Amino acid sequence: MMRFWSLLSCYLMLLLTTLPASAAALTVGAIYVGSVNDYGYNQSMHDGLATMKEAVPGVVLLEAENVPETAEAERVMEGMIQQGAKLIFATSFGHQQSAFNLAKKHSDVFFEHAGGWMIAGNFGNFFGATQAAWYPMGVAAGKMTKSNTLGFVVGVPIGYVIGNVNAFALGARSVNSAVQVRVVVTGSWSDKAKEATAAGALIDQGADVVTMHVDSPATVIQAAESRGVYSIGFQSLAAQKLAPKGWITGLGFIWAPFMTRTAKSVIEGTFKPAMVREGLGQGMLTIAPFGSAVPEPVKTLVVAAGDKVGGGYNPFIGPITDNTGAVRIPAGEAWGGDKMGNFDWYVEGVIGKAK
Amino acid sequence: MSTSLSVAVLMSSIRSGTSLLYATLGEMVGQRAGIVNLGLEGNMLIGAAVGFAATFLTGSPYLGVAAAALAGMVGNLLFAYIVVERRANQLAAGLTLLFLGFGASALIGRPFIGVIITGLPRFGDFDPLVWLAVPTALLMGWLLFRTRWGLALRAVGEDPAVVFAAGRRPDLLQYEALAVGGLLGGIGGAHLSVAFTLSWDEGMTAGRGFIAIALVIFAKWNPLWAVIGALIFGGAEALQLSLQAGGADVSPFLMNMIPYLLTLIVLVFWGWNRRSAAPAALGRSFFGVE
Repeated sequence: MMRFWSLLSCYLMLLLTTLPASAAALTVGAIYVGSVNDYGYNQSMHDGLATMKEAVPGVVLLEAENVPETAEAERVMEGMIQQGAKLIFATSFGHQQSAFNLAKKHSDVFFEHAGGWMIAGNFGNFFGATQAAWYPMGVAAGKMTKSNTLGFVVGVPIGYVIGNVNAFALGARSVNSAVQVRVVVTGSWSDKAKEATAAGALIDQGADVVTMHVDSPATVIQAAESRGVYSIGFQSLAAQKLAPKGWITGLGFIWAPFMTRTAKSVIEGTFKPAMVREGLGQGMLTIAPFGSAVPEPVKTLVVAAGDKVGGGYNPFIGPITDNTGAVRIPAGEAWGGDKMGNFDWYVEGVIGKAK
Repeated sequence: MSTSLSVAVLMSSIRSGTSLLYATLGEMVGQRAGIVNLGLEGNMLIGAAVGFAATFLTGSPYLGVAAAALAGMVGNLLFAYIVVERRANQLAAGLTLLFLGFGASALIGRPFIGVIITGLPRFGDFDPLVWLAVPTALLMGWLLFRTRWGLALRAVGEDPAVVFAAGRRPDLLQYEALAVGGLLGGIGGAHLSVAFTLSWDEGMTAGRGFIAIALVIFAKWNPLWAVIGALIFGGAEALQLSLQAGGADVSPFLMNMIPYLLTLIVLVFWGWNRRSAAPAALGRSFFGVE
């Protein structure tokens, strides 16, 4: 009799432990390459996820900061999957392969990678279509510069980033044919000491407008502000307050609507992997408010350029020559969204070496 | 390069090399006493994190730097206990302190990422730590070569048994050397966060601690040569970025390798020659005399 009851209670306990956990509708995991307070890329991702969490009831959010772009990322994401994550956002470019490996291993978990190109049944890719959006930034810089030298600090010179520099240069030269863009590569998405020195080096070369594609615009903007030059921000709109005098404008990411849509699609079972690139006017990217130094005519020009891009204008229409004089996009051709990762050359007017 | 540009690169090198110089001097004092501290990077990171946090909390960058120096000293004293008292292997203990410093600084600095501080003010083109860098090197030179304390310290690095026989305590001297070393390393780290970048990020020293260890070898364990070394390495970084901005026709990947290539070259060529200049008892634990 005792044996029966003890066996029954064991069986019941086993049953209880295998019951599904509490009513979390969805556990979402997210890994960041840096800190979420960086006034930049990681902060924008975190803000998007926080908004998604508010918008979708029952979402549990697991986050890990400072996850390097190495096999360590795989370990961290695996840990989140063990904790029940069914949707993982791998937010940094270099997390792609690790996330893809896990996608092959866990077919019931969905992955969204930011900024790459891989697609699978449970693996999607998303980013802002930043290249064309840099065109109005170039317009702003081209109009505000007095020295006709613009400075661009690049973190990691992947094709998409070089495309950003090119669009910036094209935009600047469209309003000011004498302008030149100088590029310095730090080699890392985030190295504050190098970014400070790089910004200084560009300003020493005469740049009076500096901008950047690194994870956190803070260091470059602060360096520009301390030297009294203009700055254009990128990644997060929060950076504006770092440059009360020198801020011209910037680009900021709004990830929340996409993240909310994706979370809902996973809950409803309608997830479709896609290569999502939304540009200005489509939701993911927005032009930051203008600084106090920007005169009205320039604002109008920039907004008009932004609207043009939002309406579908592609700045990469041939003929376009690179900075060695070779024609890279012949007349009659255009480089569209799928080619944005192919840039390994700078357009005419950019002083720098792409590879 | 025009003269004004060369001057700008020189100034940038000096600013960039300052944290390296303090760290090198700190490591040098410890090595002169016979102790290799591979955890210098962790020491600098603790200095950077504590310095930044203290500057934000107190509003005074000077207090921040003082706090960083203190934190660096405490960290190094912990290392000293492990290595002098417990006689652990110096290389292993140093690396352990490296990882501890990395983690502790990340923990301390975490709430302060992204906050704005008023950093050290500039007098002329440089902040006070830059102005004090060369005087500090001179001070270390004087301390090591012109005082009895320095003599005893160097003797410990050469042969602790002799110091013991002379009636002094090698272990106490090593503690003192590491305390001074930790202080300087902490200041070196603080310069990065409180004066150079005015920010804190995990791992922001980016290998400077290791370059400083190589610089000690390059400098033949002499503080005055450390000034030259720090200038060269600070200059390498500033120079490659400046060359990029100037439009050098070299791949940016190769350019970014320059400071580390230089370190490698120094270690290969100078490390061999200068082996004889190293303190004879460097890296060895003193087990007392029978």
